[in-house]
This record gives sequence, structure tokens and C-alpha cells, in this order.
Amino acid sequence: MTRPTRSRKIWNQETRLAYVLLAPALLFLVVFMLIPILNVFQMSLFKTDKIGRLGDFVWFENYMAQIRDADFRRIVLRSAFWTLTGVVAKTVLGMITALLLNVPYRGRRVVRMLFILPWASSVPISVMVWTWVLNHEFGLLNHTLRLLGIASPPIWLGKPISSFISTMWVDIWIGIPFMALVFLAGMQSIPEDLYESGYIDGVNARQKFTYITLPGIKHLVIIASLLSALWTFNDFNTIYIMTRGGPAGATDILITGVYKSAFVWLKWSQASVMAVVTFLILTIVAVFYARMYFKEEE
Amino acid sequence: MNMKTMRTIIALTLPALIATAGVFASGQDEAEKPSVTVLWAIYDGLTEEYRLELESAFEAEYPDIELDIVPIPWDQLFDRITTSIAGGDPPEVSVSATRWLLEFMALDAVEPVGNYVSRATLDNIADGAKEAVINGELIGLPIAAGARILAINNAITDVVPTTMEELRAEAIRVTDDDAYGLVMPGRKNAELTDFAYYFYAAGGDFFATTADGGYGRSTVNSEAGVQALEFMVQLANEDRVVPEGFLSQVRVEAHPVFYAGDAGYVMIGAWVESALGQAGAEFDVTYAQIPGFQGMPSRPLIGTDSLVIFSGAENKEEAGRFIDFFYQDEWKARFDELVGFPPVTISAASLPQFQSPLYQALNEAALNAESWPLIEGWGEFSDIIWDAVSEVLLGQKGAREALDDAAAEIDALRGL
Repeated sequence: MTRPTRSRKIWNQETRLAYVLLAPALLFLVVFMLIPILNVFQMSLFKTDKIGRLGDFVWFENYMAQIRDADFRRIVLRSAFWTLTGVVAKTVLGMITALLLNVPYRGRRVVRMLFILPWASSVPISVMVWTWVLNHEFGLLNHTLRLLGIASPPIWLGKPISSFISTMWVDIWIGIPFMALVFLAGMQSIPEDLYESGYIDGVNARQKFTYITLPGIKHLVIIASLLSALWTFNDFNTIYIMTRGGPAGATDILITGVYKSAFVWLKWSQASVMAVVTFLILTIVAVFYARMYFKEEE
Repeated sequence: MNMKTMRTIIALTLPALIATAGVFASGQDEAEKPSVTVLWAIYDGLTEEYRLELESAFEAEYPDIELDIVPIPWDQLFDRITTSIAGGDPPEVSVSATRWLLEFMALDAVEPVGNYVSRATLDNIADGAKEAVINGELIGLPIAAGARILAINNAITDVVPTTMEELRAEAIRVTDDDAYGLVMPGRKNAELTDFAYYFYAAGGDFFATTADGGYGRSTVNSEAGVQALEFMVQLANEDRVVPEGFLSQVRVEAHPVFYAGDAGYVMIGAWVESALGQAGAEFDVTYAQIPGFQGMPSRPLIGTDSLVIFSGAENKEEAGRFIDFFYQDEWKARFDELVGFPPVTISAASLPQFQSPLYQALNEAALNAESWPLIEGWGEFSDIIWDAVSEVLLGQKGAREALDDAAAEIDALRGL
């Protein structure tokens, strides 16, 4: 039997149909993803006017200006801290939630449905509700704290550290259900035999989790935390609705910086530099995760 | 791919394409009726009923024009306009703060309204209200122009302060477990308003004036700036006469404390009366001038907003017709009454509803009022100043240091 040539492999009866079927999606990706991304890269190398029209080509001058800017460096570091803390917290709390939801008990289905609510609800609405909960004067949280005897509860959205913690908490709260659901699905696919063998061997709960559950869902943990890292890094809604990056820039991260630079100050070059930096950071994170994932598979 | 497969794909795709084309074609029939989109700021006091009634009345008068009035919260309006311009799909008409017009003009995004609005409408607007005359052209029609005043809750105090120092003393006196002396929003909304009240009262100006009458270096770090900011810190952090959580409150969250009768004083705009009415407030209110500091005259802030027509819009003639319709007393005077601004049209000025104590106070305030600087880049400069104000209120920096840093940053951005 003769081996098909390379060109036959790429262009044969079967692949032709595949190309035809893929073409609309590919066209969509090129028009709505690739061209805008290239446009942003291009814009970051030019001076721009207030509507984003290109002026002089300035090489990497826009990048150097941003690197020299202490505020930008602070925002990059804060974005990294925001993402790392958020993803770790969501993973740990999601795992605990999944373990609790995986235990058989009466009413488990209802509890599972309730856990999905934060994720299934509209993010802006959830964030607005939390903003009210955290309101200093009439918010539910401070009202409760006052009832418990705390006369001067924190001004959650008025001070830098408490604002950062509050926005971070809301981001985590919204993200936990997704992680929990993914982990739960993984846990349910682990064969029961493994747990039974462990039981016969006398393993305790911690060992059961470490040697059976965790290895069984490792791939899912990698994928879910990658997705969570991408979403957390780009979580514009929570910060913009709750604090708009304030007070005094204490909750600004890269994505809110991109928005302010582009749409409030109309500084498109600056915004595109920030967007490119965001893109590069997320690409590095994604490549790192992908390598880890495929290494595990091998 | 063999012919049979190809035929199957074509057989499946063609009807879908024809159906889609049909949908687009029918949509085009609809689209032949010109439409006017108006970005409509949600002013305090303005009701949804009014917007819907205006829409219906205009469409009844002009059945061949479709009107879409899109309500937008004030603090999102600038973003909404700029994104629509950048996206190449601006609305026909929008409310705009007058100071934003410089940015829009730099983008060639707006056209003089006189090109589309009738002479009768233009002549019915008082010349003094036409602030949006830039380079000799009337770019926008005034939709809301109102100086800020001091509202006093008479259930808490009757004292009308004549200086900022007197205001502070009385605010301290009336503050107790049930009432705050003063309302002071501490979170930036869309403006720098609450700093400007004290800054202008101390005789400050945001920029020096150059020999040719232009804007020179930033002078936000002048003695007036430092005095104003230190005074705010005293009120908030030392005297504690403002709600404890003021740093987390934007205007629409802070002012309801006054509407609820829990604060003695608030520096506020013309919408105060309708907002009090909507909140069901039952206490008496005195309207007075925002005082100056000792030895300084009252110099309140005045804000003007304009109605503009965008050059990239499709139906500008129809937009002009909408503006003519809206500026009739039946609609514009009712709008002014709802939002509480003094009327800008000559015909409405003599209407009985605009002769109340509130309007008398507003008219007096307008005589000495100071507006925002009409300078390109003000959006970013005001963010820089507000961050400096926040840093001082948070105790991160002293007033002098924070304002020096802000002034230096603004000058650097302007290349000075």
C-alpha cells in the first residue's frame, strides 16, 4: 500500500469538507479576534489621536513611557497579586465545596443548585448587590456587625486595604461555584472501586483525598485554574462597579487601567500598551499551563 | 468532496442564505424611516414617565421619524459618547457636559447646532446661557445650567453661615448621635465637585492664566488649594461632622442622608427640591449661598450641560427637529422643573413655577459662580486631583505634598 503524500493529507475529499465547515468559524475569528489584536499591537507602536487614529511611528517609546511610570508598575504587580490570590482562594474553596457536595446526604441536590446561583446570576447584578451589602451606612454586613456590638465597623469600600479585600472577596464568591462544579464532576468520575480498595487498606480521609481524589482530578484542576486565572486577571466588572479602581487607585488592575486610558482619558497608545502587556502575561500563563497539562498526559 | 456531498451542502445552505437575506431586506424597509437616537443623562429628579411621554409626543407630531431616547446614568455618559464616536456610530444627539465639548471638537465629532436647529429656538435662549460658544460657533444648546447652593435642614439648624468657618462651627454644634452636620461625598463620581466647592470658596483657580488668556501651569497647589483640602480633612477626620463612610459614597449615595433629614447642610445643585420631594422629605429647607472662607466672597461652582449634534450621525436634520420640539415650553420648562434647573429659555423664565426661593437662590449664585476650566484633557487632570484629595483624606499624604505632586503631574502631561 502506498503512503499518501503530504499534499494529499492536507487536501483530500475528507479535509475539503472539514475546511468548508470550519471556514465560517475561522472567518469569524479572523475578523473579530485576530484583526483587533493586531490592530492593538500596531497602535501600541504609534502615537494616536483621541479617536485612536494612527500618527507617527514611535517604535517602543510608548512601552518605555509605561515602564518608567511608577503607577503602571504598581498596577502590574497588583494585577499579579489579585490574580494569584483569587485563583488560589477559588481553587481551595472550590475544592472544599466540591468535597462537601460529593458527600451523600438528604437534600444534596438542592444544596448543589444553591451553590451554582452565584455563578449562574448576572455578574453586574451580583456585584451591585454586594456593593449594597458592603455599604457603610445601611449595608447588611455593617448592620449585622453593629447588632453584634461593633460600633465602628470597617468602611469596606472607602479605605484602600478594605476595598481591595472587598472586591477580591466578591470576585472569589462569584468564581467558587465554577471551580466546585468542575471538581465535583471530576470526583464523580473516579471509580468507586479505588475508594473501596483504600477502605480495605485502611486509608484515612486525608490519605483518600491525597492519593485517590486529587490525582483523579489533577487534569481538571489544571484546566479550571487556568480558566480562572484568565477570568480573574480580566475581572473588570467587579472592580469597576464596586470602586472604579479607587480609593486613590488602590483597586486598579491592568484591565481597569486599559479601560480608563482608552475610554475616559482617550489615550489609545497607552491603553494598547497595557492591553499588549495583559495579552503577553496571559499568553505566558496559558503556555505554562498547557505545558504542565500535556506533560501530565504523557 | 464528491458532487453529492457538495450538492447536499448547497441544498442546506441556500435556503438559509435566502431566508437571512429576506430578514435583512425586511429590516431595511423598517430602517428607511429615519431614526434619531438621543443619549439622555438621568438627572436627579428626571422621571421615566417624562422621557416616555416626550418620545410619544414627538413621534405623534413627526410620524415619519423614529425617536429613541436612551437614558444613561450621568457618570457613564462620557464613556458612552466616546465609545460610540470611536466605534464610528455616534448618536444623533446627546447631553454633554459643556467642558467635554473641547474633546469632541478635537475629534471633529460635533457640529454647530445652529446648522440644524431653527432660528426661533436659538433666539429663545438667553445669550448668557450660551456657554458652548467655542471659537465663535455655538456648538451646543444649554440643556441644564445651574450654580450650586447651600441647602439647610431647618429641623436641625436655622443658621445661615456667611463664612466657611461659621459653617464648620455650626456643623460641629449640630452633630450628634442622630444627625450629621454636613454631607460630603468622598468617592469620585464623574466630577471633582466636592473639592471645587471649598477650592473656589478659598479663591482658588485650577490653572494660572497666560498673557494671551489661555491656561498656564496648574495652580491646584496654591495656598487656596491647601487651605481647602486641609479644611475638608478637618471636617471629615477631626470634627467628624460628615457620615463616617463618606469615603465610600458617591453623590447619589451621600445626598440621601440629607433628604432623609439626617444632616444639617449639603452643598448641592438645583435638583435638590425635586429630590427632596421624591424622597418624601417633610422638613423645611432654607436655600443660601455657599459661603467663602473668611474675607473671601461666595464663589460657587456652576455646571452647564449642553445638547449637541454629532457630525458622524445619519439623521442630523431630524435631530434638529427633535431639539426644536424639545425646547418648546411644554417640554423644556417641564424638564427644568423636574430637574430643578433654572430655565434657559426666555419664554420659560417668567413662568410662575420659576419664581420660588430656590430659583432666587440659584439666580443669585449664578452671578458669582465659577465654572470648570474649559481645557482639553480635563478628565485625566480631574482624576489626578481627585486621587490627591483621596490620599489626603486617607491620611497617606499631607495636603501640600499631595497637591504639589498633582500639579507637577498635570504640568508634565501638558508638556509644561
